[in-house]
Amino acid sequence: MRRLHIDGPCTRAALTTELGLNRSTIKALVDGLAEAGVVEERVPLQRSGAGRPSLLVLPQPHAAVVLAIDIRVEGVAIALVGLGGQILGRNSWNLYGRASQPDEVVAHIVDSTRWLVGELSVETAAVGVSVPGVVRRSDGLVHEAPNLHWTDVPLGEWLSTGLGMPVRLGNDAELGALAEHVRGAARGASDAVYVSADFGVGGGVISEGSPMRGTSGYFGEIGHMVVKPGGRPCYCGSHGCWETEIGEAAMCRALDLPEGSPRGAIVAALKELSAHSALAREQLAELVDWLALGLVNVVNMLGPELVVLGDLFTSLPAALIADVGREVRTRSLVSRAVGGTRIVPSVLGGDAKLIGAAELAFEPVLGTM
Amino acid sequence: MSSDPILEIKGLNKSFGPVHVLHDVDFTVRAGEVTALVGDNGAGKSTLVKCIAGIYGHDSGTVTFQGNEVHIRGPKDAAQLGIEVVYQDLALADNLDIVQNMFLGRERGSRWMLDEAAMEKAARETLASLSVRTVKSVRTPVASLSGGQRQTVAIAKAVLWNSKVVLLDEPTAALGVAQTRQVLDLVRRLAEQGLGVVLISHNMADVFEVADRIATLYLGRMVAQVPTKEVTNTQVVELITAGRSGELGLARPDTVTI
Repeated sequence: MRRLHIDGPCTRAALTTELGLNRSTIKALVDGLAEAGVVEERVPLQRSGAGRPSLLVLPQPHAAVVLAIDIRVEGVAIALVGLGGQILGRNSWNLYGRASQPDEVVAHIVDSTRWLVGELSVETAAVGVSVPGVVRRSDGLVHEAPNLHWTDVPLGEWLSTGLGMPVRLGNDAELGALAEHVRGAARGASDAVYVSADFGVGGGVISEGSPMRGTSGYFGEIGHMVVKPGGRPCYCGSHGCWETEIGEAAMCRALDLPEGSPRGAIVAALKELSAHSALAREQLAELVDWLALGLVNVVNMLGPELVVLGDLFTSLPAALIADVGREVRTRSLVSRAVGGTRIVPSVLGGDAKLIGAAELAFEPVLGTM
Repeated sequence: MSSDPILEIKGLNKSFGPVHVLHDVDFTVRAGEVTALVGDNGAGKSTLVKCIAGIYGHDSGTVTFQGNEVHIRGPKDAAQLGIEVVYQDLALADNLDIVQNMFLGRERGSRWMLDEAAMEKAARETLASLSVRTVKSVRTPVASLSGGQRQTVAIAKAVLWNSKVVLLDEPTAALGVAQTRQVLDLVRRLAEQGLGVVLISHNMADVFEVADRIATLYLGRMVAQVPTKEVTNTQVVELITAGRSGELGLARPDTVTI
């Protein structure tokens, strides 16, 4: 089941080889799933080799649907995601003033979920939530989400009461890493790090194929690694955090935009710069230096095969990402040892956290199918 | 440079015969932001959009696009600059499929043979880049799509043509709640990709949920253009109905000459 959910349709023959099971065992399994409406079998369009073609097994998105919620500092996005990772319907809205109070957010989520579910006439099995803060995994308590000014919010409890479904929460960067590992740039890698600049900077780690979660699930605050003694004060209470040099605010400074500009304005400015790499190098030099410096530390500490840069970093000019890659390779002992850690932009863009939240929700669901 | 507006209109005037529809309208669109254009019926919202799109000429005023003054004389000029308009009555051809609609009038290929494969691929990539996965096949005739899906196709067309500014004239007027939400979600993501988006809407809740900036027209005058986070719902409603709210909007009536 997991094989079909993650890697998509494949033939019965391929399933037999990959799972190392007997042909008739696979037939029995697939028949059972098809009867339950979870998969569909079709004759493949392209034939390979001689003989009767092996039937193609396709996961049916409507067979299992989960609700993914991505809570960000400036807005909330929700999506209904079907088996196989297909987004069936989605919605998002801005958070200003009152609207970012936890109770308002929960009420809005419950309302718009009802609309979406009604529109698509599907049944949802579970909920996954991405939160920009430290989250206790066992019961979904948001210990602290500093950029939202939330402290000790029992978000998991509220949402599961409101939606009537089991809810699992995760840190946004941790879920971004999960998404990249399952469906994005880090697919198939056993050790990878995901670093993203949303409002703040966060990071997730895939270690030997599974996400690193830290004690009670409090993990992912890579952006608060102190890189600059005596640097700018950070809202977390420390000074000179990595986030203060490479986060959204730092990008605004580098691009001469007023702090707190909408995300699109930053993306537009970065895109404009992509066309002039010399100017881009000059304007973003300081930011790129700090990014490389932090990444050298990260790579030396965690020794990943690749580092995936997410969210705002995906809009950085490609030439600069290549520069950072080279810089890390020259300066990092570990990177040299593994033959050059790759530094790549995310392919999932802004949806990474949403997809990660869906995968989090799918985990227990797949087990019961 | 980058914080300059992508499209700036200054002192725009437009009359239809004796009726003065737009009075010295100033309007700016910034890349990466959703600017909501609100106003009562007949305030001049659609006229303003049609002036920008080149459907109507204007009597006086300047239009600056990416820092250069431009003269838009027809819809072709606007399209060439990268200004795309999505109308509420959905300018799609029912009998054609999604690919054909997206490339309508701008087909790829030689004079004798259309490059269907390339067009289909481009259409599919564009829809994927907007993570629109609600459409099963890009070869579905548009007639069989729901209202929300049709709007999605119309909006995706703007992305396919590398537009820099997209003007949406009440894109959700004919849609139900859930479909409206899906279209607005797409509008937000369009801006997040760095496009300048103008959204005409009557629904205050929608405006507050997606817009970064709100521009209010009142009887043909631009009374305020403010960031969404600095105003409340009530203030915007006052601006729409009375043309002012506290310090915002038109000056006190005794100083206004009509």
